[in-house]
Amino acid sequence: MCCGAKAATRSAPAERWHPPEPHPLLVADNDAIAELMARCALRDQHAFARLYRLTSAKLYGVAIRILRREDWAEEVLQESFVNIWNHIAEYSATRSAPMTWMTAIVRNRALDWLRRPNLERGNEDYDLLVESLPDQGPGPDLVLGHSRDAAALAECLRQLSGDQRQTIMLAYAHGLSHGELAQHLKQPLGTVKTWIRRGLERLKGCMDGRS
Amino acid sequence: MKYRNQQLREALASEYALGTLQGRARRRFERSLKDDPQLRALVNRWQDRLAPLDAVGQPVHPPARVWRRVQEQLQTGRRRRGLWSNLPFWRTVGLASVAGALALAVSLATLSPARHGAETMVVVMSDAEANPAMTVSWPMQPRGQPRLRVRVMGHPEMASGTAWELWLLPGGEHKPVSLGLIGTEPMQELTVPRSLVPMMDGAYGLAMSVEPAGGSPTGQPTGPVLYKGQCIPL
Repeated sequence: MCCGAKAATRSAPAERWHPPEPHPLLVADNDAIAELMARCALRDQHAFARLYRLTSAKLYGVAIRILRREDWAEEVLQESFVNIWNHIAEYSATRSAPMTWMTAIVRNRALDWLRRPNLERGNEDYDLLVESLPDQGPGPDLVLGHSRDAAALAECLRQLSGDQRQTIMLAYAHGLSHGELAQHLKQPLGTVKTWIRRGLERLKGCMDGRS
Repeated sequence: MKYRNQQLREALASEYALGTLQGRARRRFERSLKDDPQLRALVNRWQDRLAPLDAVGQPVHPPARVWRRVQEQLQTGRRRRGLWSNLPFWRTVGLASVAGALALAVSLATLSPARHGAETMVVVMSDAEANPAMTVSWPMQPRGQPRLRVRVMGHPEMASGTAWELWLLPGGEHKPVSLGLIGTEPMQELTVPRSLVPMMDGAYGLAMSVEPAGGSPTGQPTGPVLYKGQCIPL
Protein backbone atom coordinates (compact mmCIF):
# COMPACT_ATOMS: atom_id res chain seq x y z
CA MET A 1 0.00 0.00 0.00
CA CYS A 2 1.73 3.15 -1.10
CA CYS A 3 1.21 6.42 0.61
CA GLY A 4 4.06 8.47 -0.76
CA ALA A 5 5.46 11.79 0.29
CA LYS A 6 2.03 13.33 0.45
CA ALA A 7 0.65 10.83 2.90
CA ALA A 8 -0.99 11.95 6.12
CA THR A 9 1.13 14.43 8.01
CA ARG A 10 -1.50 15.33 10.57
CA SER A 11 -0.30 14.09 13.93
CA ALA A 12 -2.57 11.50 15.37
CA PRO A 13 -4.10 12.21 18.77
CA ALA A 14 -3.33 9.70 21.49
CA GLU A 15 -5.34 6.58 20.83
CA ARG A 16 -7.99 5.56 23.31
CA TRP A 17 -10.21 2.56 23.57
CA HIS A 18 -11.47 1.19 20.32
CA PRO A 19 -13.70 -1.73 19.49
CA PRO A 20 -11.97 -5.12 19.65
CA GLU A 21 -10.85 -6.74 16.42
CA PRO A 22 -13.53 -8.74 14.67
CA HIS A 23 -13.23 -12.46 14.25
CA PRO A 24 -12.19 -13.00 10.61
CA LEU A 25 -14.86 -15.61 10.06
CA LEU A 26 -17.53 -13.14 10.97
CA VAL A 27 -16.40 -10.53 8.48
CA ALA A 28 -17.82 -12.43 5.56
CA ASP A 29 -21.05 -13.39 7.29
CA ASN A 30 -23.67 -11.48 5.35
CA ASP A 31 -26.52 -12.81 7.50
CA ALA A 32 -24.99 -11.48 10.69
CA ILE A 33 -24.37 -8.15 9.00
CA ALA A 34 -27.92 -8.01 7.65
CA GLU A 35 -29.27 -8.64 11.14
CA LEU A 36 -27.12 -5.89 12.63
CA MET A 37 -28.29 -3.52 9.89
CA ALA A 38 -31.91 -4.30 10.70
CA ARG A 39 -31.23 -3.39 14.32
CA CYS A 40 -29.43 -0.22 13.28
CA ALA A 41 -32.55 0.76 11.36
CA LEU A 42 -34.30 0.67 14.75
CA ARG A 43 -31.60 3.06 16.01
CA ASP A 44 -29.71 0.47 18.03
CA GLN A 45 -26.30 2.01 18.75
CA HIS A 46 -24.91 -1.22 20.12
CA ALA A 47 -25.66 -2.95 16.82
CA PHE A 48 -24.02 -0.06 14.96
CA ALA A 49 -20.82 -0.47 16.99
CA ARG A 50 -20.78 -4.18 16.13
CA LEU A 51 -21.47 -3.43 12.47
CA TYR A 52 -18.46 -1.11 12.49
CA ARG A 53 -16.27 -3.73 14.13
CA LEU A 54 -17.25 -6.34 11.56
CA THR A 55 -17.02 -4.29 8.39
CA SER A 56 -14.68 -1.30 8.87
CA ALA A 57 -11.45 -3.10 7.90
CA LYS A 58 -12.90 -4.33 4.64
CA LEU A 59 -14.41 -0.94 3.80
CA TYR A 60 -11.25 0.94 4.80
CA GLY A 61 -9.33 -1.36 2.45
CA VAL A 62 -11.67 -0.36 -0.38
CA ALA A 63 -11.24 3.35 0.39
CA ILE A 64 -7.47 3.18 0.67
CA ARG A 65 -7.10 1.31 -2.63
CA ILE A 66 -9.04 4.04 -4.41
CA LEU A 67 -7.66 7.08 -2.57
CA ARG A 68 -4.12 5.86 -1.79
CA ARG A 69 -3.86 8.40 1.03
CA GLU A 70 -4.61 7.31 4.56
CA ASP A 71 -5.88 10.70 5.72
CA TRP A 72 -8.37 10.87 2.85
CA ALA A 73 -9.42 7.27 3.36
CA GLU A 74 -10.09 7.97 7.05
CA GLU A 75 -12.29 10.94 6.19
CA VAL A 76 -14.18 8.95 3.59
CA LEU A 77 -14.68 6.02 5.95
CA GLN A 78 -15.99 8.36 8.65
CA GLU A 79 -18.43 10.07 6.27
CA SER A 80 -19.52 6.70 4.92
CA PHE A 81 -20.41 5.29 8.33
CA VAL A 82 -22.33 8.43 9.25
CA ASN A 83 -24.14 7.98 5.93
CA ILE A 84 -24.75 4.30 6.59
CA TRP A 85 -26.32 5.10 9.97
CA ASN A 86 -28.46 7.88 8.53
CA HIS A 87 -29.67 5.96 5.48
CA ILE A 88 -29.77 2.41 6.77
CA ALA A 89 -33.56 2.30 6.59
CA GLU A 90 -33.26 2.65 2.80
CA TYR A 91 -31.09 -0.45 2.51
CA SER A 92 -33.87 -3.01 2.22
CA ALA A 93 -35.13 -1.40 -0.98
CA THR A 94 -31.94 -2.28 -2.85
CA ARG A 95 -32.15 -6.07 -2.44
CA SER A 96 -28.35 -6.15 -2.66
CA ALA A 97 -26.17 -8.04 -0.21
CA PRO A 98 -25.46 -5.84 2.82
CA MET A 99 -21.72 -5.64 2.15
CA THR A 100 -22.42 -4.66 -1.46
CA TRP A 101 -24.64 -1.83 -0.29
CA MET A 102 -22.09 -0.54 2.22
CA THR A 103 -19.22 -0.94 -0.22
CA ALA A 104 -21.13 1.08 -2.82
CA ILE A 105 -21.48 3.92 -0.30
CA VAL A 106 -17.75 3.90 0.42
CA ARG A 107 -16.84 3.66 -3.26
CA ASN A 108 -19.11 6.54 -4.23
CA ARG A 109 -17.78 8.71 -1.40
CA ALA A 110 -14.21 7.92 -2.38
CA LEU A 111 -14.86 8.66 -6.06
CA ASP A 112 -16.64 11.92 -5.18
CA TRP A 113 -13.68 12.84 -3.01
CA LEU A 114 -11.22 12.21 -5.85
CA ARG A 115 -13.20 14.21 -8.36
CA ARG A 116 -13.55 17.31 -6.22
CA PRO A 117 -12.58 20.41 -8.14
CA ASN A 118 -9.07 21.65 -7.28
CA LEU A 119 -8.06 18.23 -6.09
CA GLU A 120 -5.85 16.19 -8.30
CA ARG A 121 -3.62 13.34 -7.48
CA GLY A 122 -0.39 15.10 -8.46
CA ASN A 123 2.34 13.70 -10.67
CA GLU A 124 4.30 12.33 -7.74
CA ASP A 125 1.23 10.48 -6.66
CA TYR A 126 0.68 9.33 -10.18
CA ASP A 127 4.19 7.88 -10.43
CA LEU A 128 3.70 6.02 -7.18
CA LEU A 129 0.37 4.84 -8.45
CA VAL A 130 1.84 3.45 -11.64
CA GLU A 131 4.50 1.59 -9.68
CA SER A 132 1.91 0.13 -7.38
CA LEU A 133 -0.42 -1.16 -10.06
CA PRO A 134 -0.11 -4.65 -11.42
CA ASP A 135 1.11 -4.79 -15.03
CA GLN A 136 -1.03 -7.73 -15.88
CA GLY A 137 -4.73 -8.17 -15.55
CA PRO A 138 -5.90 -11.16 -13.59
CA GLY A 139 -4.86 -14.43 -15.12
CA PRO A 140 -6.97 -17.49 -15.72
CA ASP A 141 -6.46 -18.51 -12.10
CA LEU A 142 -8.37 -15.48 -10.86
CA VAL A 143 -10.11 -16.36 -7.60
CA LEU A 144 -12.78 -14.00 -6.39
CA GLY A 145 -14.38 -16.13 -3.74
CA HIS A 146 -16.40 -19.27 -3.45
CA SER A 147 -19.91 -18.02 -3.98
CA ARG A 148 -21.83 -18.69 -7.18
CA ASP A 149 -21.83 -14.99 -8.08
CA ALA A 150 -18.06 -14.83 -7.67
CA ALA A 151 -17.54 -17.92 -9.81
CA ALA A 152 -19.77 -16.46 -12.52
CA LEU A 153 -17.92 -13.14 -12.53
CA ALA A 154 -14.52 -14.82 -12.61
CA GLU A 155 -15.58 -17.08 -15.49
CA CYS A 156 -17.06 -14.17 -17.45
CA LEU A 157 -14.01 -11.98 -16.86
CA ARG A 158 -11.90 -14.78 -18.34
CA GLN A 159 -13.94 -14.59 -21.52
CA LEU A 160 -13.08 -10.92 -22.07
CA SER A 161 -10.02 -9.83 -24.00
CA GLY A 162 -7.00 -9.13 -21.78
CA ASP A 163 -7.28 -5.39 -22.47
CA GLN A 164 -10.95 -5.29 -21.56
CA ARG A 165 -10.38 -7.31 -18.40
CA GLN A 166 -7.41 -5.24 -17.25
CA THR A 167 -9.08 -1.86 -17.74
CA ILE A 168 -12.22 -2.99 -15.91
CA MET A 169 -10.25 -4.44 -12.98
CA LEU A 170 -8.04 -1.34 -12.70
CA ALA A 171 -10.96 1.04 -12.92
CA TYR A 172 -12.94 -0.80 -10.24
CA ALA A 173 -10.21 -1.54 -7.73
CA HIS A 174 -8.32 1.77 -7.95
CA GLY A 175 -10.98 4.23 -9.04
CA LEU A 176 -9.04 5.26 -12.14
CA SER A 177 -10.69 7.63 -14.57
CA HIS A 178 -10.70 7.06 -18.33
CA GLY A 179 -7.86 9.58 -18.56
CA GLU A 180 -5.77 7.91 -15.87
CA LEU A 181 -6.32 4.53 -17.45
CA ALA A 182 -5.23 5.86 -20.84
CA GLN A 183 -2.09 7.35 -19.30
CA HIS A 184 -1.26 4.22 -17.34
CA LEU A 185 -1.86 1.85 -20.24
CA LYS A 186 -0.28 4.25 -22.77
CA GLN A 187 -3.27 4.04 -25.05
CA PRO A 188 -5.48 6.67 -26.70
CA LEU A 189 -8.45 7.76 -24.59
CA GLY A 190 -10.97 6.54 -27.16
CA THR A 191 -9.41 3.07 -27.19
CA VAL A 192 -9.66 2.77 -23.41
CA LYS A 193 -13.27 3.94 -23.44
CA THR A 194 -14.13 1.34 -26.05
CA TRP A 195 -12.43 -1.46 -24.09
CA ILE A 196 -14.47 -0.57 -21.05
CA ARG A 197 -17.78 -0.18 -22.85
CA ARG A 198 -17.46 -3.38 -24.85
CA GLY A 199 -16.03 -5.25 -21.89
CA LEU A 200 -18.97 -4.30 -19.69
CA GLU A 201 -21.46 -5.26 -22.42
CA ARG A 202 -19.85 -8.68 -22.83
CA LEU A 203 -19.70 -9.13 -19.07
CA LYS A 204 -23.41 -8.47 -18.75
CA GLY A 205 -24.26 -10.79 -21.63
CA CYS A 206 -22.14 -13.56 -20.15
CA MET A 207 -23.42 -13.17 -16.58
CA ASP A 208 -27.07 -12.87 -17.58
CA GLY A 209 -26.64 -16.01 -19.68
CA ARG A 210 -25.38 -17.93 -16.67
CA SER A 211 -28.06 -16.91 -14.19
CA MET B 1 -32.80 14.89 -17.33
CA LYS B 2 -34.30 11.59 -18.38
CA TYR B 3 -32.27 8.90 -20.05
CA ARG B 4 -34.79 7.20 -22.34
CA ASN B 5 -32.55 5.09 -24.52
CA GLN B 6 -32.33 1.69 -22.81
CA GLN B 7 -28.85 0.96 -24.17
CA LEU B 8 -27.62 4.32 -22.90
CA ARG B 9 -29.21 3.72 -19.51
CA GLU B 10 -27.49 0.36 -19.23
CA ALA B 11 -24.13 1.79 -20.31
CA LEU B 12 -24.35 4.70 -17.86
CA ALA B 13 -25.42 2.42 -14.99
CA SER B 14 -22.51 0.07 -15.66
CA GLU B 15 -19.91 2.83 -15.82
CA TYR B 16 -21.39 4.48 -12.72
CA ALA B 17 -21.00 1.22 -10.80
CA LEU B 18 -17.53 0.70 -12.23
CA GLY B 19 -16.53 4.23 -11.22
CA THR B 20 -15.59 5.59 -14.62
CA LEU B 21 -18.63 7.84 -15.05
CA GLN B 22 -17.29 11.14 -13.87
CA GLY B 23 -17.58 14.87 -13.50
CA ARG B 24 -20.77 16.54 -14.69
CA ALA B 25 -22.05 13.33 -16.29
CA ARG B 26 -21.77 11.56 -12.93
CA ARG B 27 -23.57 14.36 -11.05
CA ARG B 28 -26.32 14.49 -13.68
CA PHE B 29 -26.70 10.74 -13.50
CA GLU B 30 -26.96 10.86 -9.69
CA ARG B 31 -29.72 13.45 -9.94
CA SER B 32 -31.64 11.15 -12.29
CA LEU B 33 -31.19 8.24 -9.90
CA LYS B 34 -33.19 10.08 -7.25
CA ASP B 35 -36.50 9.82 -9.08
CA ASP B 36 -35.92 6.89 -11.40
CA PRO B 37 -36.26 3.63 -9.45
CA GLN B 38 -35.70 1.54 -12.56
CA LEU B 39 -32.38 3.27 -13.15
CA ARG B 40 -31.48 2.61 -9.50
CA ALA B 41 -32.32 -1.04 -10.05
CA LEU B 42 -29.95 -1.15 -13.04
CA VAL B 43 -27.18 0.33 -10.90
CA ASN B 44 -27.88 -2.11 -8.05
CA ARG B 45 -27.70 -4.99 -10.46
CA TRP B 46 -24.32 -3.81 -11.71
CA GLN B 47 -23.06 -3.32 -8.18
CA ASP B 48 -24.07 -6.92 -7.46
CA ARG B 49 -22.33 -8.17 -10.59
CA LEU B 50 -19.06 -6.42 -9.75
CA ALA B 51 -19.17 -6.96 -5.96
CA PRO B 52 -17.04 -10.14 -6.00
CA LEU B 53 -14.14 -7.94 -7.13
CA ASP B 54 -14.12 -6.49 -3.60
CA ALA B 55 -12.68 -9.80 -2.42
CA VAL B 56 -9.47 -9.13 -4.33
CA GLY B 57 -8.22 -6.48 -1.90
CA GLN B 58 -6.91 -6.99 1.61
CA PRO B 59 -8.81 -5.60 4.59
CA VAL B 60 -6.94 -2.81 6.40
CA HIS B 61 -7.78 -1.91 9.98
CA PRO B 62 -8.56 1.80 10.27
CA PRO B 63 -7.11 3.78 13.20
CA ALA B 64 -9.32 3.91 16.29
CA ARG B 65 -9.90 7.64 15.85
CA VAL B 66 -12.20 6.99 12.88
CA TRP B 67 -14.80 5.25 15.04
CA ARG B 68 -14.53 7.98 17.66
CA ARG B 69 -15.16 10.64 15.00
CA VAL B 70 -18.12 8.75 13.59
CA GLN B 71 -19.69 8.79 17.03
CA GLU B 72 -18.84 12.44 17.60
CA GLN B 73 -20.34 13.40 14.27
CA LEU B 74 -23.51 11.45 14.98
CA GLN B 75 -23.88 13.01 18.43
CA THR B 76 -23.03 16.58 17.50
CA GLY B 77 -23.79 16.67 13.78
CA ARG B 78 -25.59 19.78 12.69
CA ARG B 79 -27.87 18.01 10.29
CA ARG B 80 -29.48 15.87 12.95
CA ARG B 81 -30.25 16.17 16.61
CA GLY B 82 -28.09 14.23 19.01
CA LEU B 83 -28.93 10.60 19.53
CA TRP B 84 -29.56 11.36 23.14
CA SER B 85 -32.58 13.49 22.44
CA ASN B 86 -33.69 11.37 19.53
CA LEU B 87 -37.07 9.80 20.06
CA PRO B 88 -36.66 6.85 17.64
CA PHE B 89 -33.61 5.88 19.70
CA TRP B 90 -35.96 5.18 22.58
CA ARG B 91 -38.38 3.19 20.51
CA THR B 92 -35.96 0.30 20.65
CA VAL B 93 -37.16 -0.27 24.19
CA GLY B 94 -39.86 -2.58 23.00
CA LEU B 95 -43.06 -3.99 24.35
CA ALA B 96 -41.35 -7.03 25.85
CA SER B 97 -39.45 -4.86 28.26
CA VAL B 98 -42.54 -2.94 29.31
CA ALA B 99 -44.17 -6.08 30.66
CA GLY B 100 -40.93 -7.09 32.29
CA ALA B 101 -40.41 -3.62 33.65
CA LEU B 102 -43.75 -3.53 35.39
CA ALA B 103 -43.31 -6.96 36.97
CA LEU B 104 -39.82 -6.11 38.16
CA ALA B 105 -40.71 -2.64 39.27
CA VAL B 106 -43.53 -3.90 41.44
CA SER B 107 -41.37 -6.54 43.07
CA LEU B 108 -38.56 -4.05 43.60
CA ALA B 109 -40.84 -1.46 45.09
CA THR B 110 -42.20 -3.94 47.62
CA LEU B 111 -38.66 -5.02 48.45
CA SER B 112 -37.31 -1.50 48.80
CA PRO B 113 -36.98 -0.29 52.37
CA ALA B 114 -38.60 2.96 51.39
CA ARG B 115 -39.69 5.33 54.13
CA HIS B 116 -43.38 5.66 54.66
CA GLY B 117 -44.84 8.07 52.14
CA ALA B 118 -41.64 8.38 50.12
CA GLU B 119 -41.56 7.28 46.53
CA THR B 120 -38.95 5.12 44.89
CA MET B 121 -37.66 5.71 41.38
CA VAL B 122 -37.17 2.50 39.46
CA VAL B 123 -35.42 2.09 36.14
CA VAL B 124 -35.48 -1.22 34.33
CA MET B 125 -32.69 -1.10 31.81
CA SER B 126 -32.92 -3.30 28.73
CA ASP B 127 -30.41 -4.53 26.20
CA ALA B 128 -30.60 -4.12 22.42
CA GLU B 129 -33.11 -6.97 22.16
CA ALA B 130 -35.32 -5.24 24.73
CA ASN B 131 -34.57 -7.88 27.36
CA PRO B 132 -34.33 -6.45 30.88
CA ALA B 133 -30.66 -6.63 31.88
CA MET B 134 -30.29 -4.38 34.89
CA THR B 135 -32.39 -2.42 37.36
CA VAL B 136 -31.48 0.76 39.20
CA SER B 137 -33.60 2.25 41.96
CA TRP B 138 -33.28 5.07 44.46
CA PRO B 139 -35.46 6.77 47.04
CA MET B 140 -36.85 10.07 45.82
CA GLN B 141 -36.21 13.16 47.94
CA PRO B 142 -33.60 11.43 50.08
CA ARG B 143 -32.40 13.06 53.33
CA GLY B 144 -28.72 12.44 52.74
CA GLN B 145 -26.64 11.50 49.77
CA PRO B 146 -28.72 9.38 47.38
CA ARG B 147 -27.65 5.75 47.18
CA LEU B 148 -28.50 3.91 44.00
CA ARG B 149 -29.27 0.22 44.25
CA VAL B 150 -27.98 -1.46 41.13
CA ARG B 151 -28.99 -5.00 40.32
CA VAL B 152 -27.36 -6.69 37.33
CA MET B 153 -29.19 -9.68 35.90
CA GLY B 154 -27.61 -12.69 34.22
CA HIS B 155 -23.84 -12.87 34.23
CA PRO B 156 -22.66 -10.33 31.68
CA GLU B 157 -18.98 -10.03 30.83
CA MET B 158 -17.09 -6.78 30.65
CA ALA B 159 -14.35 -6.67 28.01
CA SER B 160 -10.90 -6.12 29.49
CA GLY B 161 -9.67 -2.55 29.27
CA THR B 162 -13.20 -1.20 29.32
CA ALA B 163 -15.52 0.19 31.98
CA TRP B 164 -19.27 0.47 32.32
CA GLU B 165 -20.47 3.98 32.96
CA LEU B 166 -23.96 4.82 34.14
CA TRP B 167 -25.57 7.98 32.74
CA LEU B 168 -28.51 10.01 33.93
CA LEU B 169 -30.58 11.30 31.01
CA PRO B 170 -32.24 14.47 32.24
CA GLY B 171 -34.58 14.63 29.25
CA GLY B 172 -35.19 17.26 26.61
CA GLU B 173 -32.05 18.67 25.11
CA HIS B 174 -29.97 18.25 28.27
CA LYS B 175 -26.81 16.22 27.94
CA PRO B 176 -26.31 12.97 29.86
CA VAL B 177 -24.77 13.32 33.34
CA SER B 178 -22.36 10.67 34.62
CA LEU B 179 -23.45 8.79 37.72
CA GLY B 180 -20.22 6.83 37.91
CA LEU B 181 -18.80 3.45 37.01
CA ILE B 182 -20.47 0.17 37.84
CA GLY B 183 -19.34 -3.46 37.77
CA THR B 184 -20.94 -6.72 36.73
CA GLU B 185 -21.76 -7.98 40.26
CA PRO B 186 -25.44 -8.83 40.82
CA MET B 187 -25.95 -6.40 43.73
CA GLN B 188 -24.22 -3.04 43.92
CA GLU B 189 -24.65 0.34 45.53
CA LEU B 190 -23.59 3.64 44.06
CA THR B 191 -23.47 6.89 46.03
CA VAL B 192 -23.94 10.03 43.98
CA PRO B 193 -23.46 13.71 44.90
CA ARG B 194 -26.37 15.37 46.65
CA SER B 195 -26.32 18.14 44.05
CA LEU B 196 -27.71 15.69 41.52
CA VAL B 197 -30.91 15.01 43.50
CA PRO B 198 -33.21 17.53 41.76
CA MET B 199 -32.06 16.24 38.39
CA MET B 200 -32.43 12.58 39.38
CA ASP B 201 -35.99 12.89 40.61
CA GLY B 202 -37.05 14.51 37.35
CA ALA B 203 -34.92 12.38 35.07
CA TYR B 204 -36.21 10.79 31.92
CA GLY B 205 -34.07 7.67 31.98
CA LEU B 206 -30.71 6.01 32.44
CA ALA B 207 -28.22 4.56 30.02
CA MET B 208 -25.11 2.45 30.48
CA SER B 209 -22.29 2.81 27.97
CA VAL B 210 -19.03 0.97 27.39
CA GLU B 211 -16.11 3.32 28.00
CA PRO B 212 -12.33 3.11 28.23
CA ALA B 213 -11.01 1.85 31.58
CA GLY B 214 -11.44 4.67 34.10
CA GLY B 215 -14.53 6.06 32.40
CA SER B 216 -15.36 8.43 29.58
CA PRO B 217 -12.50 10.86 28.95
CA THR B 218 -14.87 13.52 27.62
CA GLY B 219 -17.54 13.58 30.32
CA GLN B 220 -20.04 12.35 27.74
CA PRO B 221 -20.76 8.84 26.54
CA THR B 222 -18.26 7.82 23.86
CA GLY B 223 -18.84 4.08 23.50
CA PRO B 224 -21.83 1.95 22.55
CA VAL B 225 -24.85 1.97 24.86
CA LEU B 226 -25.49 -1.54 26.15
CA TYR B 227 -28.50 -0.96 28.36
CA LYS B 228 -31.04 1.81 28.72
CA GLY B 229 -34.40 2.38 30.34
CA GLN B 230 -36.93 4.95 31.45
CA CYS B 231 -37.49 6.18 35.00
CA ILE B 232 -40.71 5.04 36.68
CA PRO B 233 -41.68 6.62 40.02
CA LEU B 234 -43.46 4.16 42.29
